[in-house]
Amino acid sequence: MQEYLPLFTKAMWLTLRIGWMGILLSIVIGLVTALIRHFNVPVLKQITGIYIELFRNTPLLVQLFFMYYGLPRLGVSISAEACGVLGLALLGGAYMAEVFRSGLESIEPIQSESALSLGMNHAQVMRHIILPQAVSTSVPAFIANIIFLLKETSVFSAISLMDLMFTAKDLIGLYYKTIESLTLLVIFYLIILLPVSIIGSIIERRMRYAGFGA
Amino acid sequence: MKKKNLVKRIATLGLTLSLSAGLLAGCGNSTGAADKSSDATASNAGFRTLDEIKESGEINIGVFSDKAPFGYVDENGEYQGYDVYFGNKLGEDLGVKVNYVSTEAASRVEYLQTGKVDLILANFTVTDERAEQVDFALPYMNVALGVVSHEDNVITSLDQIGEDDQVIVISGTTAETYLTENKPEIKLQKFDTYAAAKSAFENGTGVAWANDNTEVIAFAKENPGYTVGIEELGEKDTIAPAVTKGNDTLKNWINEEIETLGQDKFFHKDYEATLTDTYGADYEDTLVVEGGKTE
Repeated sequence: MQEYLPLFTKAMWLTLRIGWMGILLSIVIGLVTALIRHFNVPVLKQITGIYIELFRNTPLLVQLFFMYYGLPRLGVSISAEACGVLGLALLGGAYMAEVFRSGLESIEPIQSESALSLGMNHAQVMRHIILPQAVSTSVPAFIANIIFLLKETSVFSAISLMDLMFTAKDLIGLYYKTIESLTLLVIFYLIILLPVSIIGSIIERRMRYAGFGA
Repeated sequence: MKKKNLVKRIATLGLTLSLSAGLLAGCGNSTGAADKSSDATASNAGFRTLDEIKESGEINIGVFSDKAPFGYVDENGEYQGYDVYFGNKLGEDLGVKVNYVSTEAASRVEYLQTGKVDLILANFTVTDERAEQVDFALPYMNVALGVVSHEDNVITSLDQIGEDDQVIVISGTTAETYLTENKPEIKLQKFDTYAAAKSAFENGTGVAWANDNTEVIAFAKENPGYTVGIEELGEKDTIAPAVTKGNDTLKNWINEEIETLGQDKFFHKDYEATLTDTYGADYEDTLVVEGGKTE
C-alpha cells in the first residue's frame, strides 16, 4: 500500500494537469465556436458545424487513437500528453460550444430589440443584457461538462499515459493486489471529482438569477 | 431547501472521506500482517473442475488476439498461433468445444481468479510471483527477455539507455517486472496491448522495446529497420498453461496430456505448423519444450 500511494498521487497530478489544461482549452474553443455560430459568420459557421458533429459523435478513445497512432503515419508526431490535452480540448470544445450556444439562444430576441430601442448599442446589449443571462443559464450544463471531461481522462491508458486508471491496471498486473488497487482508484477519482461537484453546485446556486421572475 | 442541500452534501463528503480512510487502514493492515495467505484465498471466486467442463461441453481458454505468431486472430476472424494450436488439441482430446477469450497481458491472472476462463494459454511465462496467484501446469515453451531497437541506434546493452530515453514495455509482462525491479532508473513507456506497443514503436516512440525474445525476434523479422540487439536478458524462463489456484483436476489432466503429446512430438509439429514461417527452423530446438521436460 505504501508503495502504491506515491504512484497514485503521481497519476492523479497527471490526470489533473492534462484534465484542466484540456478543459481550459475546451472553454476557449467552445466560446469561439459558439460566438461564430451565434453571429452566423459565413463559411466559419459551416466549418464549426462539421467540427461539432464530428467530435460529438465519435468516442474520445477513437479520437486519441487517431491522433496518437494514426497521425504519425501522415508525418505528424504528437507526444502522448499533448494528444491527451488536444483530444480533451477538441471533444470538450464541441460540447462546450453547444452549452454556450443554448445559453445565448435562450434569451428571447425581444430583449435585445427592446434594449436597442432604448438606445444601447450592440456591444452594450451583449455586455449588459445577453451575456449575464446566457452565462447564468449555461452554468449547470457547463459544470456537468467539466465533470464529464475529467472522467473521460480514464481512457488515456490507450495512449500509454500513466493516468489513474492505467496505474491501477498496471499495479494489478505487477503485484496482483486487485482489491487494494481498485479501492485506491475509486478514492482518487472521488478526491478529484467531489470538490468539483460541490463547488459546482455552490456556483450554480449563486448564478441562478437569470430569467423572468427570478 | 438550498441550505439543507449544501449541508447534506458536506455530510456526504465527510462520510465518504471517513469511509475511504477506513478502507485505506484496512488495506494497510492486510499488507502488513497476513499478506500472502489472505490474498490467495480471498481472490479465487471459483473455478470449474474437469468434470464440470466436460459436462458443459465447452472450455473457456484465454489467449492473446494480437500476439502473432503465438496467439492472434487471422484475416478470417479465426484464432491462430502456437498457443491456439495447442488449445485446439486440448479441446479435441477433452471432447469439448473451445471458446477462446481474448486477454491482455495484465489481466491474465484476473481472468483465472474471477473464473472468466478455465485456462490461460496466453504465452504465460512461469514466475514465482505468478505461481502464488495461479497454478501452472507443465511447460510447453522456452522463453527469455529480448530487446529490439532501431537499426541506426542498436541497443546491445541496457547501459546504453540514456536518462531521457524511453523503453517500451507492455503492462503486465515479465519484461515490465524485470526492468522495474532490476533497472528502476530506466524510463518505461507502458502500453496495454501488443497492437498499441507495436504501432507506437513503429511510429518512433522509444529507443527500444523490451519483451519476450520470441516476440521481439518476430517483430524484427517482419519489420525491416529493426534489430534485436539483446537476444537474452535476465533468466531463461518457461511458458506453461495456467489454471485457477487449486483447480487440480484440470491441471493434472493437462499435465498427463502434455506428457502423452510428448511421445508424438506434438509441440514440434505445433512449431512447424505455426512458427516456421516466422522463425524458420533455427529456433525449433531452443523454443520447443516437449513432454513438459526442460533440459
